[in-house]
Amino acid sequence: MVDPASGPFLFDTSAERWLARTKHSELLNWMGAYLSRHPIHVSAVTVLERSRGYSLLWRRAHDERRDSIESARLAYLSALGPVWPLDGAVAVVTGEIMSLLPDPPTPPKRSHQLVESRQERLARWRFDEMIAATALVAQMPLIHNNAADFEAVRSAIERSPTRFPRLGPLELIRCASLA
Amino acid sequence: MGPARSLIKVKKQRTTLTLPSDSLMKAKNIARVRKVNLSTVISEALSEGLKVHAATERSEEVLALYRKAFSGFTDDELSLLDGIILEPATRR
Repeated sequence: MVDPASGPFLFDTSAERWLARTKHSELLNWMGAYLSRHPIHVSAVTVLERSRGYSLLWRRAHDERRDSIESARLAYLSALGPVWPLDGAVAVVTGEIMSLLPDPPTPPKRSHQLVESRQERLARWRFDEMIAATALVAQMPLIHNNAADFEAVRSAIERSPTRFPRLGPLELIRCASLA
Repeated sequence: MGPARSLIKVKKQRTTLTLPSDSLMKAKNIARVRKVNLSTVISEALSEGLKVHAATERSEEVLALYRKAFSGFTDDELSLLDGIILEPATRR
């Protein structure tokens, strides 16, 4: 159980969506308690990933569905709290993480007859590294739903503390452990 | 500037309220200990209560917006919204 008052926290892309759709009453109560005290902080990378997703869905959709996709996109943008930029400090830290972990620790995603290309997997991994770097620079715990990837980043940072002076450790909180 | 002092600048209005006896008793005790009048204590308590109410409203508003942002999509579409782009295996 994580005290909602101990925030604010940075929310990873998948965590933000997972928590918004959860049906667990304990997690819903936790989100309510958290939101009454703090906004949801996200990285600009999360907004980028989400915006690209809405845009791709809109382009692929038939005319009659486009309004509802646009409405969902506008709801997302209206809900946004503080967005942390990709500034110089985040760029420096991301560069360090990327040099330690150039390759994704997990394989591309698969779903039925669909697969993620290696190129897309690498891009997504780099986005995750940018989000982890943002959490370090913002000195906020990162709420995530992607243990395999973010634990790899946390371990790499712990093994090379001199490359991250006055930063770290990367504090990770899994969505499921919040409430 | 403390909350009691900040209230000085606020436009005030006289009204009559019916309050629970025990709450009123506690408020009077606080006023006596702090050497302020009862109106100040009631105003501060009301102000804090309204802040909590506003925060709860905002919390519900944000949750409703998030639910709208992610409803009506299939699992694969939600993956896309999370930045995971999946393509038919035969295209690779």
